Amino acid sequence: MFGKILHANDGSEGAFKALAAALNLARRYRAELHMVSVEELPWLPGTREEVVGEKALANHHFEAVAAKAAAIAKKERVKLHTHLVAGHPVSTIARLVETHRFDALVIGFMGHAALYNAIMGSTAERLVRLAPCTVIVVK
Amino acid sequence: METLWFTSALWVGLALASSLISIRVGVSVALIEIVLGSFGGNLLGMAPNAWVNYLAGVGAILLTFLAGTEVDPAVVRKHFRSTMSIGAVGFLAPYLGVLGYAHYGLGWAWPQAQIAGIALSTTSVAVVYAVMVETGFNRAEMGKIILAGCFINDIGTVLALGVVFANYNLWLAAFAAATAVALWLVPRFIPWFFTLVRERVSEPEVKFLLLLLFLLGGLAALANSEAVLPAYLIGMALAPYFLKHKAVALRIRAMAFTLLTPFYFLKAGSLVKFETIAAAAGLIAVFLAVKMATKFAGIWPLTLAFRFKRREAMYTTLMMSTGLTFGTISALFGLTNGIVDQDQYTVLVAAVIGSAVVPTIIAQKWFQPEVEFSEDESAGRGSESRAEA
Repeated sequence: MFGKILHANDGSEGAFKALAAALNLARRYRAELHMVSVEELPWLPGTREEVVGEKALANHHFEAVAAKAAAIAKKERVKLHTHLVAGHPVSTIARLVETHRFDALVIGFMGHAALYNAIMGSTAERLVRLAPCTVIVVK
Repeated sequence: METLWFTSALWVGLALASSLISIRVGVSVALIEIVLGSFGGNLLGMAPNAWVNYLAGVGAILLTFLAGTEVDPAVVRKHFRSTMSIGAVGFLAPYLGVLGYAHYGLGWAWPQAQIAGIALSTTSVAVVYAVMVETGFNRAEMGKIILAGCFINDIGTVLALGVVFANYNLWLAAFAAATAVALWLVPRFIPWFFTLVRERVSEPEVKFLLLLLFLLGGLAALANSEAVLPAYLIGMALAPYFLKHKAVALRIRAMAFTLLTPFYFLKAGSLVKFETIAAAAGLIAVFLAVKMATKFAGIWPLTLAFRFKRREAMYTTLMMSTGLTFGTISALFGLTNGIVDQDQYTVLVAAVIGSAVVPTIIAQKWFQPEVEFSEDESAGRGSESRAEA
């Protein structure tokens, strides 16, 4: 059913719960498992320094996330391909799913402030709407 | 004395609020500072005074200097023709288009129309760079050419600011001669001097650079030119050194971004008049449309000539239609020197901000290139792909 699975990980506790579920699924279906972390760059930066600084900060954060995920996957004996891309999380992940024809997307649930959720919806809700594949939200 | 500290607290408080909002919403701190500055100016009666003008002025000089240090001369040399053509067209098309519209269409006097043309001729290197990083173009030769083209575009803007309004007299000759000598001497002197005094707590490297920039800025002012011109050129001359030795640039950045550039962007915002924005919304939209149309007419054919795919060509063209920092610097130069009035300044700054927002939204909504996992320099795209368990 799932030959190719994408797991999106922002380093949060919820994301690592989702990683555990993704590893389980990948083992059960002998699926190819990829993990992507999306670093958000400042929108409309005024100076290049802003971009360089934010990227360095994000790289530092996500290197640790990738190392931790890789260690967990190794323990579970599942091959995990980890990737780091820059962009807006929702649109970037949705486009990755479409471009690379993933069968399932596994994500954690992270709530925002009530007002933000009411207006924009959470990242998970928007991915459920936009990703052209089965989306599993782990709570 | 207490008024001084309360005024300082207000400005620094807005700078801090800008940083926090910027972190929370992921939008550029410079843009938030301009917006908060406009609220401060219109609602809190915040007006720039002598010391705010000084800090903002130094902020603009350092901002321009740092922008100059990011130019990669090796890429410009390697792809001289394509870089120069994209950069020159990127500057000239909107400059002439907006200049013509402001003068013939609106009846603005030539100097005012010049400021309009210069302010809207810019391309935001920062916005283009962020997009390059997102699409992976920044690692491809094509991306490096476009970025170098943006720098050339900005040189056009800074040169125009420094040359168009200058008095053609002995002071200008002295300024030109001093700048030429500095451009020749500084790349030779600085490595030796910085090695001699390096990493002292008293920061002699930073002080030397400030001394140089202030001296050349003073000469520029005597010639009625602009202090950001020598700052950008000296930054470019030192770019090869700073590409290898980032520590001094990082220390200047910390100093500039903590206390100087916030004053610059807040001041730029505080001079914007809300009632003018409301009254001249149509005019602002037309200025923005003229900028985008002329950028499109100039850059779109070039991207196709350089064999971009259609979607990527459109994306690149839209990105090169963006502008922010140098646009506000140019508009503020016009206001400070009495070339444009505050209403014209407001119209231009609003159009500049519009040119940061509108092309970016259109590009990201309808022309976003595909995201790739694998690094593929030859295709001109790629994202980081790492660590396998």
